[in-house]
Amino acid sequence: MSPDGKPGVDLLEVRDLYKYFPIHAGILSRHVGDVRAVDGVDFTIRQGETLGLVGESGSGKTTAGRVVLRLLPATKGEVLFEGRDVQKLSRQEVRKLRKEMQIIFQDPYASLNPRMTVGDIVGEPLAIHRIAKGKAAEQRVQELLRLVGLQPYHANRYPHEFSGGQRQRIGIARALAVGPKFIVADEPVSALDVSIQAQVINLLQDLQEQFSLTYLFIAHDLSVVRHISTRVAVMYVGKIVEIADRDALYQNPLHPYTQALLSAIPIPDPAVEGRRKRIIISGDIPSPVNPPSGCRFHTRCPIAFDRCKVEVPPLKAYGVRHVAACHWVEEHNGNAPDLTSGPAVVA
Amino acid sequence: MALLEVKNLRVGFKTDDGFVSAVNGLSYSVESGSTLGIVGESGSGKSVNALSIMRLIPMPPGRIEGGSVELRGENLLQKSEAEMRKIRGNDIAMIFQDPMTSLNPVLTVGDQIGESIQLHLKLNKRDTLAKTVDMLRLVRIPLPEKRVREYPHQLSGGMRQRVMIAMALACDPDVLIADEPTTALDVTIQAQIIELMNEMQRRLGSAIILITHDLGVVAETCRYVLVMYAGNMVEYGTAEQIFGQPKHPYTMGLLASLPRLDETEHSRLVPIEGQPPNLLHIPTGCAFAPRCKYRMPICDSPVPLFDFGAGHVARCFLYDERTAGERKLPVESAPEVPNSATSAKTVQATGAAAS
Repeated sequence: MSPDGKPGVDLLEVRDLYKYFPIHAGILSRHVGDVRAVDGVDFTIRQGETLGLVGESGSGKTTAGRVVLRLLPATKGEVLFEGRDVQKLSRQEVRKLRKEMQIIFQDPYASLNPRMTVGDIVGEPLAIHRIAKGKAAEQRVQELLRLVGLQPYHANRYPHEFSGGQRQRIGIARALAVGPKFIVADEPVSALDVSIQAQVINLLQDLQEQFSLTYLFIAHDLSVVRHISTRVAVMYVGKIVEIADRDALYQNPLHPYTQALLSAIPIPDPAVEGRRKRIIISGDIPSPVNPPSGCRFHTRCPIAFDRCKVEVPPLKAYGVRHVAACHWVEEHNGNAPDLTSGPAVVA
Repeated sequence: MALLEVKNLRVGFKTDDGFVSAVNGLSYSVESGSTLGIVGESGSGKSVNALSIMRLIPMPPGRIEGGSVELRGENLLQKSEAEMRKIRGNDIAMIFQDPMTSLNPVLTVGDQIGESIQLHLKLNKRDTLAKTVDMLRLVRIPLPEKRVREYPHQLSGGMRQRVMIAMALACDPDVLIADEPTTALDVTIQAQIIELMNEMQRRLGSAIILITHDLGVVAETCRYVLVMYAGNMVEYGTAEQIFGQPKHPYTMGLLASLPRLDETEHSRLVPIEGQPPNLLHIPTGCAFAPRCKYRMPICDSPVPLFDFGAGHVARCFLYDERTAGERKLPVESAPEVPNSATSAKTVQATGAAAS
């Protein structure tokens, strides 16, 4: 699936990826079902690109990120990093892979060991991967701290002495220690206050430029994703419903869910808010244990018709690098539905 | 007379490291039928302010150091606990942030909503149940007759927040305090809840105090906005004033640091440099000064409120005549020297008088 418009090298390719978490119940712990967290997902990320992966809780975006890094084994499917399937690597090869791909976690309070100094936290990957030791390691740690906007003397302090934004910088320094090419950033700014959030976003962008990093940026905040991403994928209950280049997705969203999601974001400007037509979709997000048949969004979709209830819509290309999974869009020659003038939607 | 008036409120907490001032001389008022958004980041004192109005601050370690909270002229801080119990839920109700932890897991939804109806409205069992079902229907919970007998764990997050709203509105309170009511919810569910709150406001005419860190939510729901920093108000005005012509450098900074869904070019974000204030050591002057681009020597002395007319006030020396020589005003808003109100006067939320 690559109706290419522009040149570029794929760094990561995810093919038909599944991740189910089995549910056991009863005294015999029989397998009674699965949480279908990631349920058939395809996407590619090009060298130097930032793919924003957005979705609400239970959409499977975090699980997808972890399977990509092989922090979790896949149930089925392939994750090709520079052409090699990370699922098939040996333990030793995985360890080498960790130097290439790293993760930044959401919660800067829970992801740093409170008993280790900042110097140890940032220096640990250097020792594990035998990159540097002794004086050289110390110097490298100080260099990394400076790089993320902290001071070298911070190396002797403990995480609790830092604010949320500073802790997130420590997490970033640790991820950068091994010199990775690819970083999965899982909700890296959602635990931070707005004034601090901007500092960390700018830092991530600067580092990307400086080290030509490729990001998989997982977030639920569509304004942040729009700001940082080159391409955006929208997930809903384990499946990708739409992927497109940033501007195409935000200016011409095809899938009704993407439209509803964008419309639900309040804009911090009462003048704009007053003019905007909102699409408010009713109902709750379905459970990934028992997802709806056919298109997973059909239970909440204001334009769903019979076919949506039985047939799973495949991702189809509409325009340059713009794919969406919607029967309505397919039957209307790739035109986006206008939900604002559709049947009255009652919450 | 304002419906609810907070005057020079000061609240602090005793901690192992010393006394932390969470709210530091806060004053504002709310008229009936209007919506006030209180915005601030973590530690700005916005939630402590709400808990103080409800007299729900745990004491100790908390202590209300001074000031008053007047509901229709009566000071709530001087009420006995028994009197407060009649006021909570009846005159002032609160919606909490996390619907998972603020509902009792071992009581049915109906019991929890019914409790305050029975207590305040003194209805019998059958009427209480009928009223409870009505409330659930009002907040658009499907199959209310069935849901009324269910427990919180059987409901989704959005439904639970609807139950919280039903509970808060059951006795038709004059003031509804909503503390981060949508923060724990997904965006599509958040949109549903905001829509519901706006509708409830139109229908019931309660005054709403919406406490949030989300400027988008404020823009969408509130008529008036109060911006807090380090326990005090830095700016107050109508939503149009605050978002259209912000005066305080902190307010401007907040707006500039937000990535916006409707931005057309992808310029770099302008963060507010530095770290949030340490509430153990709040400076005597402007608490924002250490992070402020426009800092002047005078900023170390206590800052009065400056009045920009039409209810818009800000606590910043940029608008003081004394700094005329040295100040560098933010570009777009080079104001004519405002009527200085050097004797920091209490803000009057006047606009709501119309309703």
